[in-house]
Amino acid sequence: MIFDNYEAFRAANFIAKVCILGSGPAGTTVARKLGAAGIPVVVLEAGSREFSDESQDFYRGTTVGDFYFDLDITRLRYMGGSSNHWAGWCRVLDKLDFEPKAWAPDTGWPISRADIEPYLPEVHDILELPGFRPDVPISDDIRWIQLIKSPAVRFAEKFADELDKSRNIAVVLNTYATELTGDGKKVTGARLWSNGQDAGLFSADYFIVCTGGLENSRLLLWSNQRSNGGVVPNAAALGRYWMEHPTFEGGNAILADYGEFEVDAVNEAFFSPSLAAMERLQIMNFGIRLIEMPYAGIKRVIADLACTAPDMAEWAAYQLSQNLRCAAQLYVAWEQAPLASNQIVLSKTDVDHAGVPRIELHWKKSELERRTLREGLKLFGTTLAQKDLGRVRIADWITDSGDFPTDEETAGHHHMGGTRMGTDVTRSVVDANCKVHGMDNLYVGGSSVFCTSGECNPTTTITALACRLGEHLSKVVAA
Amino acid sequence: MSSFIKKMHRRTIVQALIALPALSLFRALPHPSASSSDRPDADPHEIVEVSGWILKRSDLA
Ligand SMILES: Cc1cc2nc3c(=O)[nH]c(=O)nc-3n(C[C@H](O)[C@H](O)[C@H](O)COP(=O)(O)OP(=O)(O)OC[C@H]3O[C@@H](n4cnc5c(N)ncnc54)[C@H](O)[C@@H]3O)c2cc1C
Repeated sequence: MIFDNYEAFRAANFIAKVCILGSGPAGTTVARKLGAAGIPVVVLEAGSREFSDESQDFYRGTTVGDFYFDLDITRLRYMGGSSNHWAGWCRVLDKLDFEPKAWAPDTGWPISRADIEPYLPEVHDILELPGFRPDVPISDDIRWIQLIKSPAVRFAEKFADELDKSRNIAVVLNTYATELTGDGKKVTGARLWSNGQDAGLFSADYFIVCTGGLENSRLLLWSNQRSNGGVVPNAAALGRYWMEHPTFEGGNAILADYGEFEVDAVNEAFFSPSLAAMERLQIMNFGIRLIEMPYAGIKRVIADLACTAPDMAEWAAYQLSQNLRCAAQLYVAWEQAPLASNQIVLSKTDVDHAGVPRIELHWKKSELERRTLREGLKLFGTTLAQKDLGRVRIADWITDSGDFPTDEETAGHHHMGGTRMGTDVTRSVVDANCKVHGMDNLYVGGSSVFCTSGECNPTTTITALACRLGEHLSKVVAA
Repeated sequence: MSSFIKKMHRRTIVQALIALPALSLFRALPHPSASSSDRPDADPHEIVEVSGWILKRSDLA
């Protein structure tokens, strides 16, 4: 069932056992799992079926530190969440991403890749993915990996019909959970905002916060402040260890044989380091995206020339009346070192229309990451040269230790950490089952539970973790 | 020119592009650690970094 507002939902007298906040990929996936297990679940969604400026305005915030996207631009606040404009790049975190790295503090997950693997067939159905091919090592240091450009499933579009027909799932639109109330053991209710006013407390046996990788921290920080620690009793890590995938053009390459690496439909191939190389160089994970320009014959030769001798290439391209770029561009996205100082805090001065403090995001890239970028490109270049596969040129701003460019991609719109998973309550917020430490009935879904980010886009892993959480909760609720 | 290039093996072209001493990149370029490259035993497979390029020493011969 889908209700357009909270009042219509109240009138229907639907009794939910589980209350999910947010209808993005995480919330929708957990709801479908619980619904399929016969558990009555309500999904409270702050936005409506369509984009609106009024709803987006609740997402405004500020950033302190490095340049970042406006916080109301980097996510969407309506049914389906940011899946309404995600690009659809898919890959699951690697086995090595779950492992602690002695050279990078606060890495390592309390679960392994094997814990989410059983859910991958479901994830492939949900995201409409073909199977992944195994990674291909091109040297001891570099793997040729696969990211799949999926059809970018819009969760609201794909599942609206199924949700509307469901007897076990009620999706309630235009219903903003402004705060959870709790007594340090249990969440006792969710305070709601509907039709521009307070709509009272909603209660259920279990609550799952799936409001996105920035908003999960905001909601829990505010709830905890209001309840004097009654919602997240162990809050030392709450909002902290926030991560993105910084992404920049890192240079270009000339390949000896452009058929060597099969590119995807958008002429891209991806490369990552081996764990041994990361350990040897003491760097984080990274992904190099090689984008080939679809030139052939003499045009390709001139494009190659553009990498080494731009003036000469310009002259040659002029003779051909062509505007050619260097034949292969290299973009690098990397894993950030998890730092407690990269954090979401509540603004002391700015609140949204419902009175909830807006986000102040503190975000700065570290020295370890700069080294990862430079050493990563060097590693890739060394492999190509040693294997005679091509040559790499690292961009000047990297070799000269210049500032990060501000006119580039900057990052992936991947909001990770803030309610990270772990066993140490001073360094994490949820346990291996995504349950908030010390609370009996509060869970978190989405990439805010990530301990580390790996190098790949998060939504495939988010969906797998949501399937796992749905299955776990089905058993807990049924017990 | 174009038919000549087409006939050449791609790998050779790339090598030529990289090594072409007239190219602005490599013109007036101090050989990386000039003393070692002068050594008769300098390893042609050694990886050297020149103006951001990750090259094999033999690329500069
Ligand atoms: C431009 C762009 C491109 C991207 N491309 C990729 C990609 O190629 N691959 C990839 O893996 N990822 C990509 N992402 C990231 C991807 O969109 C997110 O990882 C994913 O949407 C997160 O899912 P989620 O359910 O955790 O959160 P969201 O999608 O953010 O959903 C959260 C939902 O909660 C609702 N909500 C928020 N606050 C409240 C509240 N207090 N009460 C009730 N409801 C609330 C919101 O309205 C929203 O519907 C991209 C993101 C952007 C912005």
